[in-house]
Amino acid sequence: MPLFRPGARPLALLALLVLGSARAADAAAAKPKAQALSVAPLPAGDKVAWSHAPYEAGDCSLCHQRNDPKSPGPIVKGVVELCTSCHEEFADVAGRKVKHPPTEAGCTNCHNPHNSRERKLLLAEQTALCFGCHADVKLVAEKSRVKHAALTTGSKCVNCHNPHGANVEHLLVQLPFDLCISCHSKDGVSDGRGATLTNFKSWLEQNKVWHAPVEAKDCSACHKPHGSDSFRLLVAEYPAKFYAPYDPANYALCFGCHNDRVVAEPTTTTLTNFRDGSRNLHFVHVNKAERGRTCRACHEVHAAKQEHQIRDGVPYGTRGWILKLNYTKTATGGSCAKTCHNAKTYSYKAAPEKKP
Amino acid sequence: MRAALALRLALLALPLAAPLRAARAEAPGERLDNPELPTLDGGRARLLGAAGEVSVFVFARPGQEHSARTLREMAGCKADLAGKPVRFAVVVSSSAAPAEARAALAEAGLSVPALVDAGDALYGRLGVKLHPVVGLADREGRLAALVPYQAVNYREAVRARIRFLLGEIDEGALSRALAPPRADMPGATAASVASRDLALGRLQLERGEGEKALASARKALSLAPDSAAAHGLAARALASLRRCPEAAADVAAALGADPAEAQALAAKEACPP
Repeated sequence: MPLFRPGARPLALLALLVLGSARAADAAAAKPKAQALSVAPLPAGDKVAWSHAPYEAGDCSLCHQRNDPKSPGPIVKGVVELCTSCHEEFADVAGRKVKHPPTEAGCTNCHNPHNSRERKLLLAEQTALCFGCHADVKLVAEKSRVKHAALTTGSKCVNCHNPHGANVEHLLVQLPFDLCISCHSKDGVSDGRGATLTNFKSWLEQNKVWHAPVEAKDCSACHKPHGSDSFRLLVAEYPAKFYAPYDPANYALCFGCHNDRVVAEPTTTTLTNFRDGSRNLHFVHVNKAERGRTCRACHEVHAAKQEHQIRDGVPYGTRGWILKLNYTKTATGGSCAKTCHNAKTYSYKAAPEKKP
Repeated sequence: MRAALALRLALLALPLAAPLRAARAEAPGERLDNPELPTLDGGRARLLGAAGEVSVFVFARPGQEHSARTLREMAGCKADLAGKPVRFAVVVSSSAAPAEARAALAEAGLSVPALVDAGDALYGRLGVKLHPVVGLADREGRLAALVPYQAVNYREAVRARIRFLLGEIDEGALSRALAPPRADMPGATAASVASRDLALGRLQLERGEGEKALASARKALSLAPDSAAAHGLAARALASLRRCPEAAADVAAALGADPAEAQALAAKEACPP
């Protein structure tokens, strides 16, 4: 998009001079700032989709020193003060905990006070406007192998962020889970490859033992909402299949919080209670050179009916068969009835194994 | 008294720390042991602070991204609460390389006692199972919560719980901090758009532009038909245009809704019966 049209240059430069407050300079220093866009009226002949009421009415002097559209002069107050003199509802936004520096510096960092081709009098198409400063997010969104439709549908960035101010970090409108569930609570939704996505509202209602990040409404602990190279927008590697050779790098997602030593140590009396005496059964199941059982073999990552998100069964093979785990908790451990192996019971209170 | 305490501590622990309960030896409300442990700098220090202090102990793993971020967040949290009776400590496993652990703390700018958990005994006894986890104990040394890592709002979630334990905020404020109110777009409602039209109309009236002010007032009324202020503005604009018979209806509507509506009173004065 052209930043300064030849015909609009004098007005644009004037507007930028008016905008050059100290706060704007501070904001620019805090974050790399995109080249400023013109806040001048669109040149005659441009398709105007939205117009600001005072400009449309020819009331230049509501904001400027003179009521002369050819030479309106500087604005009569600071930009924010001027805007909020009519847009009173934005005064409440100032009380929100998380601020957006361009908003604090001046509304005209994003809005054209005269007219625009864009809704809300934005200076450019909304995503392009955001990406003008947030180049890191642009890069992720454009280059990632797995895309998130939330960035390109509905209100785009504003589906999740409030650029004026918010009460949650990253200007999120709500905590991540409350945002995610607003879309991921429907049956029959598919991802880009046609795989069915879980209806989390009903899943979480049916399964009351929730993974800590779910409990904390923190989907972003495991998922990258702007895009990822890992399936399901995961923040790091996680085995997609039931079996995988054990390599800690394949479990980077889980080991981001869980202690990798829980799988690395053959014996322990502290790292896990999934042990028979001191024999570490996580090590026994997972730490194998070829057919190690992955986390998903026994744990449901979001929520399950049993403690530790131990799942009832796991899809096995290519024909949708559910392999039942038949796990039963006991006072000092648990048992798995015949499925993967013959029925076995463990107890973490059993005598520790003697070292050879 | 005991029940009230249990309820307060349960509020701190839930919902965010709930999944840790099952495996934990010490449940919220139970008094914690206060072992003296070796520290990274060769000394010894206790897990908990002195009596009367809220204790914050961070189980962190050097070399882990989430732990590094948590240490930075806790450095900020400590600065936020400077001068208050809060004691921070970090707990690292004896299996961690001491130099790496010291470097992680230095990088985060967190200058606190760094306890070495020999054989992960404390980690196992509390049933932590994760890194990082921020443990909180109240002024009497009772376990209040084990807060696992959050990618979003972690610092606020910990800080609010500490402030609750200090008695600085009540349960309502704690709940709001843990589940902040939705931040909707301003101007999304008819009422807010009407309010904007009214503000514009007032400016127009001040400038002697009665017709424009009237148009703005009518626009506001189309969105908020019962607005006393909008009827008042319409009345005042009509009065300024010497259209008193028309103003009468708006004066009546405005004063019917708000007998003290200033613009309507001014219009009434300008248009005597």
